[in-house]
Amino acid sequence: MTPLALGLLFGAVTLIVMFSGMPIAFALGGVAVTFMYFFMPASSLDTVTQNVYEEMASITLLSIPLFILKGAAIGKSRAGQDLYSALHVWMSKVPGGLGIANVFACALFAAMAGSSPATCSAIGSAGIPEMRKRGYSSGFAAGIIAAGGTLGILLPPSIVMILYAVAAEQSLGRLFLAGIGPGLLLVALFALYAVFRYRKEHRAALAAYEKSGTASAYLDTTEYTLKQKVEMLPRVVPFVVLLIGVMVALYGGFATPSETAGLGAILALVLVATVYSVWRPKDLAPILSSTLKESTMLMFIIGMSLLFSYVMSYLRISQSAAEWIVALHLSKWFLLSVVLLLVIVLGFFLPPVSIILMTVPILLPPLKAAGFDLVWFGVLMTIVMEMGLIHPPVGLNIFVIKNVAPDIPLKDLIWGVMPFVGLMFLAVFLICVFPGIATWFPDQIMGPGK
Amino acid sequence: MSHSLEVPSHVAGPVPRPLVPLARLLAGVNRVVLVAGMLALLAAAAILTYSVITRYFLKSATDWQDEASVFLLVGATFLCGAYVQSYRGHIGIEALSSILPPSVNRLRVTVVDILTLAFCAFFAWKSWTLFHEAWVEKQTSSSSWAPPLSIPYGLMAAGMTLLSLQLLLQSLTHFFRGKETK
Repeated sequence: MTPLALGLLFGAVTLIVMFSGMPIAFALGGVAVTFMYFFMPASSLDTVTQNVYEEMASITLLSIPLFILKGAAIGKSRAGQDLYSALHVWMSKVPGGLGIANVFACALFAAMAGSSPATCSAIGSAGIPEMRKRGYSSGFAAGIIAAGGTLGILLPPSIVMILYAVAAEQSLGRLFLAGIGPGLLLVALFALYAVFRYRKEHRAALAAYEKSGTASAYLDTTEYTLKQKVEMLPRVVPFVVLLIGVMVALYGGFATPSETAGLGAILALVLVATVYSVWRPKDLAPILSSTLKESTMLMFIIGMSLLFSYVMSYLRISQSAAEWIVALHLSKWFLLSVVLLLVIVLGFFLPPVSIILMTVPILLPPLKAAGFDLVWFGVLMTIVMEMGLIHPPVGLNIFVIKNVAPDIPLKDLIWGVMPFVGLMFLAVFLICVFPGIATWFPDQIMGPGK
Repeated sequence: MSHSLEVPSHVAGPVPRPLVPLARLLAGVNRVVLVAGMLALLAAAAILTYSVITRYFLKSATDWQDEASVFLLVGATFLCGAYVQSYRGHIGIEALSSILPPSVNRLRVTVVDILTLAFCAFFAWKSWTLFHEAWVEKQTSSSSWAPPLSIPYGLMAAGMTLLSLQLLLQSLTHFFRGKETK
């Protein structure tokens, strides 16, 4: 059988098994083992477990559970609400400040917790009711939070980027830094949109008031004194210090990425213990068990995806698929568009971790041949996968928000997130036109890339 | 990435009577394993923090910390696999469950569970072989610390066996429920 025919068969079987509803991890492992049995030397089946272990026993990959622990410690405490309240008070004078406060709170929290759904639920549970109370439309309020939450997989330390670094053999430090510029660009775009939307809704509320005399909550203004503003700081500052401390440890040459994960987790636990008195075993158990639940599920997918990619590579499926794409001689930008479209479609069904591990071996060689910077592409791919977190049919963040604010109809929610999907497309476009948005920062700190 | 939303409702319900002892046993083991996993997680984080401190402040070389953390985290991952499966926390694409008629869907879930069990049992068996080899040949890792590889292999084998038993319980549950409804 030619590698191409084998590849098609492999792809078809994978699709069927995945859509049967078999857990993704076991579906990938099962397909890999079946193809090993039929198309690879018998001895390969004997080393299958060693293979999985050796791929998984990388301290970079195994920093993932520790980054999740750090996020869970912060996510399960009141840090999100406190951060949100502080930003809300500080931004109260800015027109549309409440929306901006939500975007900033999501970005900061996402950078600390590294998880999109955790951000949506922590900031959303405080932010959505507050925005609705102030007259913001439900869809808009939910959209801000769903979109703000996605920053979790773009801003460092991002689990998705750890996997991309391993799969694409790129520098993790450089990838983390490359996510910052685009992350700030998205924050700015979301905040600008929040102001624009606020002004529109505010004008409508004002017009309605002049016409009928009924004042909407939109027209109320609350003033906060400087004392009130200062009082909000003590609970927020430690977490911002944690955020900065972790970055300094990583880029100041004090710790490797995995040590940073361990250090970050311990510091986060110490902080929630001192600030929120979360230190008893019964307080810590939910943090630890939710970390184990999430990280076990993820690490199983990762381990089995690695086995899957190994089989794909052994049978020369990835190489011939990559060669086939190169031989098409697509124009540079057309190739990139097709690749990103594929990632979007895969994002309908698969979590980012499996998308990366399954597609990177096929997609990177053609992109490299076309002259794209692979760190830059990693950032682009991450933003595109972020869109998958908020657009239907799966849109994990949409469901998290549905849990936080069950009374918002799904239709309003989906229409509420759509403008943000548009803004993300705009960001992808801008990063293509100005690659420096992603590459400038790592180049400045770590020197020019390869 | 909390995936509690993915738990399919059609698998909930009480355990059929003949399976109660196995279900209780597994629930007990999973509880113990979960606590061990929690401790392993904390230990790994503490060891890596200690590694930064010794290298940076005490200027002494770090040799065993990364590997010890890998062992702890690999162990925690594999051992907790069964616990995650017990509430069906390993996510899959559940698109078909809302389209298929209930009877066909029950058949689909049963077949999926049996195939998953077959894969995990195979993996468990191969893990035990790997463990046995590492144990008999006294294999160690290639680092300067050189810990025995039978430790992580043993944890992997134990975890996959536990996961297979969990899947066996879930597969048998379909079988007994099918009998009860007849």
